[in-house]
Amino acid sequence: MKQGIYRTLAWSGIQKNKKFYVPYMLTCIGTVMMCYIISFLSTSPTFRNITGGATMQSFLSMGVGVMSVFSLIFLFYSNSFLIRRRKKEFGLYNILGVGKKHLALVLFLETLIIATITIVAGLFFGILFSKLAELCMIKILDGTATFALTLSFPSIYQTALLFVIIFAFIYLNTLRQIHLTNPIQLLRSENAGEKPPKANWIIAILGAVLLAVAYYWAVTIEDPVTALMMFFVAVVMVVVATYLLFIAGSVVICKVLQKNKNYYYKTNHFVSVSSMVYRMKRNGAGLASICVLCTMVLVMVSSTVCLYIGAEDSLRNRFPRNINLDAIASSAEMLKGQQVQQVKQLVQQITEENNTQQENILEFRTAAMGGILHGNEMLVDESAYGNRMNAMSDIWQIFIVPLEDYNHLMGKQETLSSGEVMIYTTKEMEYTFDTIKLQDMTFNVKKQAEGFVDNGVDSMQIFPTMYLFVPNFTEIVEPFQGLTTNTGRNLLSFHWCYAFDLPCDDTTQIEILRQIETKISLQLDNPQETSYFSISTEGVAQERTDFYAIYGGLFFLGILLGIVFIFAAVLIIYYKQVSEGYEDQSRFDIMQKVGMTKKEIKQSINSQILTVFFTPLLMAGVHLAFAFPLIRKLLMLLGLMDTQLLIITTLCCYAVFGVFYGVIYKVTSQSYFSIVSKIKE
Amino acid sequence: MSILEVDAVKKIYTTRFGGNQVQALSNVTFQVEEGEYVAIMGESGSGKTTLLNIMAALDKPTSGSVRLDGNELSKIKESDIAAFRRDHLGFVFQDFNLLDTFSLEDNIYLPLVLSGKRPDEMKKRLMPIASQLGISQLLKKYPYEVSGGQKQRAAVARALIINPRLILADEPTGALDSKATDELLRLFGEINRNGQTILMVTHSVKAASHASRVLFIKDGEVYHQIYRGNSTESELYQKISDTLTMLATGGDRR
Repeated sequence: MKQGIYRTLAWSGIQKNKKFYVPYMLTCIGTVMMCYIISFLSTSPTFRNITGGATMQSFLSMGVGVMSVFSLIFLFYSNSFLIRRRKKEFGLYNILGVGKKHLALVLFLETLIIATITIVAGLFFGILFSKLAELCMIKILDGTATFALTLSFPSIYQTALLFVIIFAFIYLNTLRQIHLTNPIQLLRSENAGEKPPKANWIIAILGAVLLAVAYYWAVTIEDPVTALMMFFVAVVMVVVATYLLFIAGSVVICKVLQKNKNYYYKTNHFVSVSSMVYRMKRNGAGLASICVLCTMVLVMVSSTVCLYIGAEDSLRNRFPRNINLDAIASSAEMLKGQQVQQVKQLVQQITEENNTQQENILEFRTAAMGGILHGNEMLVDESAYGNRMNAMSDIWQIFIVPLEDYNHLMGKQETLSSGEVMIYTTKEMEYTFDTIKLQDMTFNVKKQAEGFVDNGVDSMQIFPTMYLFVPNFTEIVEPFQGLTTNTGRNLLSFHWCYAFDLPCDDTTQIEILRQIETKISLQLDNPQETSYFSISTEGVAQERTDFYAIYGGLFFLGILLGIVFIFAAVLIIYYKQVSEGYEDQSRFDIMQKVGMTKKEIKQSINSQILTVFFTPLLMAGVHLAFAFPLIRKLLMLLGLMDTQLLIITTLCCYAVFGVFYGVIYKVTSQSYFSIVSKIKE
Repeated sequence: MSILEVDAVKKIYTTRFGGNQVQALSNVTFQVEEGEYVAIMGESGSGKTTLLNIMAALDKPTSGSVRLDGNELSKIKESDIAAFRRDHLGFVFQDFNLLDTFSLEDNIYLPLVLSGKRPDEMKKRLMPIASQLGISQLLKKYPYEVSGGQKQRAAVARALIINPRLILADEPTGALDSKATDELLRLFGEINRNGQTILMVTHSVKAASHASRVLFIKDGEVYHQIYRGNSTESELYQKISDTLTMLATGGDRR
């Protein structure tokens, strides 16, 4: 009998607070669903068997971790909001003789009901949509799949367990809050007199400074390596700064406006500014969270979309031609030697046998080494580095290329006299000195070359590359020959790069590549014992799936997490609107009595809501704009050079997001207006 | 000429469910002269608040008319009514109705700001009123920091600062302790002696005994009225008590 009462209390507790519980439960269902889908995809055996599936799954299993942490924080936050709204109800129960122990029981039953409904429903929808997600992923990878619906019991178990734990935590937190307060406090907690917030200049200035520094870095950092390292520091700084600014900075701004009497005592500003102070104090953290979430969604979605769309481009950067041969030889002479001719003949023969021909042939010789740039001196000997390395950004990849190969490839007629070089640097790095010192030789930099062919090595590593085009290749590399580093590697390695496109389909290309590989290993003459000449081959056709697996995986994960973050933003916004509606109800009633027209009230509400609502979006836009140079550099490391594409995708993402945000605003502000205007009748 | 003329006002509410009609006011007629201090008394449910709302142009009568300085309230356009209210009427409420987001000073300025007055002019108007009401030291404080009596004095200042033709007070002492009540009634008397017309709705005999005329409302009509004449406050108090007893026990009209 008694049990029945508690059950009824628990059930009616949820029903009476439908306005808050329905969105809460929907979000819970959404998060459960997403967790299941990601977990399902990361373990699905069907998916693993597809080419590239395994790579994608490793990305997704990272997503599972992110989702778990996020779900915990987010559900915790929204639940604490619910409890705040209901404290009065608990206080009343308490005064009417429901002991805290019994209250705990009621709350336990409530949590149990909510947990059961949301986990079951979440898993149901998760299972339903997991097939859809799987099909999307398989589509990305160009695989084929059956339409059979599969269940993954480990995933179901894992997801259910995760959320049972989260709900247990939430329940314990609720108990803690209720035990800490007495009934009278519980009754009154909602309308305790609120102190006007003080303007905290120190925190506001700290926030502004942090943001300024992070922005400054983002804009001024030149080299991608430093960008990569600073990115996370900058992100943390911006997040902290956002919170500080929304919490303290906004109050400071309002206070400054209040000090300006001629501005403040205007009909339009008077009510808005003074209410904004309180609004910002209460919602600063919430708004900052929305802003951070928005920025995260935008950065994540735009960069992953951009990577995915630009995958073909990156592929071309990484593999300059359809088939790429890279020979490494023991001496500069061998780069023009008999083996080179042999390989070229073999390739010619094989392509002819396959009824096709080589196009866009790319051939050049180069001597490659790593070095540290110190002023105008390039240190190539590890023992000479010592502690003269100031930053990661000083590390360079160096390619010495004969001028004749440059002229041949680029179709130029450049001439250089002995002791002169031309320089080309990648990754937007610049070399500004007039001379460059290499080992004991000093060269005059005649000019900066306009460009050079793509080189797979450059797009593979994060360090920038410096091409030195020299007139007398063999002479210059001579002194390095035979020199080894401390670790016994050759200081310099000699490469012969040979690459070409094929006008035939992927299968034929893969077949041709296979034939080249076998023939070379069988027929190539072995040089003398002391020297070597070995060839490695790469074909785009074969690598493409892997490429798409990585970028597609990132893309998919970006979209999934983006959806989850948007869920979160929507819920935070909705709760904010509703709770403010209740708080503002009485306030606007008073204003009407004192002689404000409904129109003025409506205007004031509108301007406040618009400010509160769109500041995070604007701020996210500013963050995004300043993060843009950093994102661009990071994508450059991943081999994506197309800035225009990035600008377009970023703008599109922002626009789409803005429209979406506007819709959320429209819907939630309607519930706000309905609450506020109820009293006006 | 009378400041306020209430003529045969009738108000019928239709309940939202079932459409039952409830008559709040059946036929109310009275006038308030310039410089008068009128108290309206009546039991709960006698229609006091309805009458006040109609006089404040917050509500419209079903029939009859209310004229302020000869202007028919129901003829004022809906869009002008809020401006009319804030330029001509000062309000004092039982629960103060101060905005907790404003300091007392800003609360008092609110109607002036809405009328588009300049900051220095507002300041000039506030100073004498604040010192008269004894709140000069409290202007920078927020409502939650001051006592009920102080809040009510701030609300009175807010009503006075617009130089209203008429102050409408709805149970102004209802939420105050006896000391704060005495203080507020003393202030009302003082303000009235300076020429301010006051109309107060109350069911506190003590509050009504400070007025120069007391109207009694019963069953939606003006049932009786007492002029102070030369009576002292305690004599008027006695007369009001007698009348209320008579009203409650259902005696004949005198």
